Amino acid sequence: MSGGRGMREERAIWRASGLRRERWHGYYFLAPTLLFLALLIAVPLVQAFWTSLQRTRGLRSSFVGLDNYLHLFGSERFWHSLSVSALFTVACVALHLAVGLLLALALHQVTFARTALRLGFLTPWIIAPSIGAVVWVWLLEPQFGVVNHILTSLGIIQEARVWLGEPLLALGSIIAVDFWRGMPFVMLLLLAGLQGIPAEQYEAAAIDGANAWQKFRHVTLPNLRYLLIVATTLDTIYTIRHFDIIAVMTAGGPASATEVLPVLIYNTAFEANRFGRASAVGIVLLGIVLTLSVLYLRIVKPERDKAEA
Amino acid sequence: MPTPIKRALALGCWLLVGLGTGAASAEPVTITWQSTSLSEKQFAPIAEELIAEFEAANPEIRIKPILVGRKEDWTKFVTAAQAGKAPCVYRGNVTTAAYNGYLRPLDDFFEASEDSFKQVWPADILNAVRFEGRLYALPVYAGIYAEVYNRDLVEAAGLDPNAPPETWDEYLSWMKRLTKDGQWGTAVLAGPTTTTTRTLLSWIYSNGGRAFNDEMTESSFSTDPKAVEAIRFYLELASKHGVAAPGAATINYREQTTLFAQGKIAAMRNAYWGFAKVLGDNPDLAGKLVVAMPPANVAAPRSVAKITAEMITSSCEHPEQAWTFLRHLLSPKWQARSMTEANYMPLRTDVAERPEIKSDPIVSRYLEVGAIARTIPLPHPAWADVAGKDVVKALQQALLEPDRLEEILRELDETVTEKLQDL
Repeated sequence: MSGGRGMREERAIWRASGLRRERWHGYYFLAPTLLFLALLIAVPLVQAFWTSLQRTRGLRSSFVGLDNYLHLFGSERFWHSLSVSALFTVACVALHLAVGLLLALALHQVTFARTALRLGFLTPWIIAPSIGAVVWVWLLEPQFGVVNHILTSLGIIQEARVWLGEPLLALGSIIAVDFWRGMPFVMLLLLAGLQGIPAEQYEAAAIDGANAWQKFRHVTLPNLRYLLIVATTLDTIYTIRHFDIIAVMTAGGPASATEVLPVLIYNTAFEANRFGRASAVGIVLLGIVLTLSVLYLRIVKPERDKAEA
Repeated sequence: MPTPIKRALALGCWLLVGLGTGAASAEPVTITWQSTSLSEKQFAPIAEELIAEFEAANPEIRIKPILVGRKEDWTKFVTAAQAGKAPCVYRGNVTTAAYNGYLRPLDDFFEASEDSFKQVWPADILNAVRFEGRLYALPVYAGIYAEVYNRDLVEAAGLDPNAPPETWDEYLSWMKRLTKDGQWGTAVLAGPTTTTTRTLLSWIYSNGGRAFNDEMTESSFSTDPKAVEAIRFYLELASKHGVAAPGAATINYREQTTLFAQGKIAAMRNAYWGFAKVLGDNPDLAGKLVVAMPPANVAAPRSVAKITAEMITSSCEHPEQAWTFLRHLLSPKWQARSMTEANYMPLRTDVAERPEIKSDPIVSRYLEVGAIARTIPLPHPAWADVAGKDVVKALQQALLEPDRLEEILRELDETVTEKLQDL
């Protein structure tokens, strides 16, 4: 009885304080943002899903249920594109992380011209991807390209290579260009992490007789663990959605060797004029990205808690 | 507030509304015009003059050009058309656009036109811009594909530029003579655009082959022996004989003309509009280009003629004004100027017959080739997809695995036939 009376009293105080009236204020403040997000994200998303259930021919469309998805999962082209996407993403993320970490370690040690060097390494990230891609197309051009000229002059290759004309070379070339463009972001993230590691930990390790490798293995890496996970997941989510560089450099060719999922979506929508099928690929790609995002959140939260502790 | 003041205010408001409406109705109508030609160096100045003259003669109409590159043209158009905001006048692929419901039929405008206008279009050219019996565009220019040689390089190889090769065997012999260190006879196109298929078809036709049936329901790249022979010969210029510039899978119109302008290749299969690009890159080649019939194993057809057409979209709010602009665009004066200054081959018979055009030896040679050429794009909504993707992919695969050519062509036929029948 006394407990019930206590609760009633608490409610009475809450009502009297005016908090009840103000409890909706937070939602009022959030409403414009929620509305904006709904318009920008939810509406196109629902529209895309609805389109994926239709057979679309320009301005005409008819409901076909899951036909587009069935066609997709039975299509060799889709599975090929998915495997190219996976290969491209794994290679790019691995390169971004490996070289980004090495460069971050090097830049962390450098004292001379530190700012200029950091700015220099960041330049590819500043340049618009499509502009960078156009420049690379001409650098890799078989007849007039600088890359062939340098490599033949140095005797590394005997004859001019067609970098974007052979499947393996083309895939390698777009991975290289994506590495050039995407690595600085990872490097910057890890450099920030390195700067946050307390110097005392290295000093303690030195007193214990740790060598450079042992310091890296037992001090640097554990301290960077959280940031490495963040960089890996964010970079994976970004890279698997990558479109611009590939669209400009190869448009998915030669012989579909570089047709990643976003390029397949574009080609299906705008070359084949099949918006329903393109939307179905888009929804599948969204599913992949959402799965990665959920994984990211599930991994990052305990890691962040651990890091904060 | 006293009633007279209220009344005065109300009257003032109505007057303002009335004035506003009056002002709005006096504003000129805007017609948007999207064409890749508008951003091309050879045509842009002509377009400016053409628009200025039209606007001066029709002050109630304004033309708003939409500049776009070749690669983005269709994407931009489709995006706008899907949103019901397509440009009023568009230069592009008639069949695909009409099939998708993006175009307005023009039969009513055309039928209402005077006979002297209707009669200047050859029937087969008008048929090329019809879809399901309805006229959806007006033909503007033709890109007739002939064989173009660099006179200096031909003479340097000890060949006679006045006696270009007539047959494939002679052509191969020429190409071998024209290939030496850092220079090749020609370029095989296998880059990702419809130009690749356009060029391939010219080789298939010149061997008496065919790639599609008349109804456009089946493709026959692998089943027509003449087509297979032509494709093999064309690709072997690169893969077996080494007389074509390396990197065929990345070579398109732009790369081909750049190679030709720089003297890296001695011959190219191209239309007259390619001259402007070549001479823009290398003005020293002026007067040194030789136009010849494509070498062939049959008398006709020996090449292709790409029809470029202007259309009015279904979302255009002012089709009458757009038609007025089309008539201006297609007037003999601007057709002739486009021909002489931008190298766009006119399709109006009265313009093609003009003395200043007929007397030009290069143009007259092109017209000779055009007389025995087949028109493209082929009349099917999937044409751009088939020509720009499937055929290109097959050629790229065949260049990488020449021994699998027939198998690759069979796979191509399966894919293409499925698309042709999936309407």
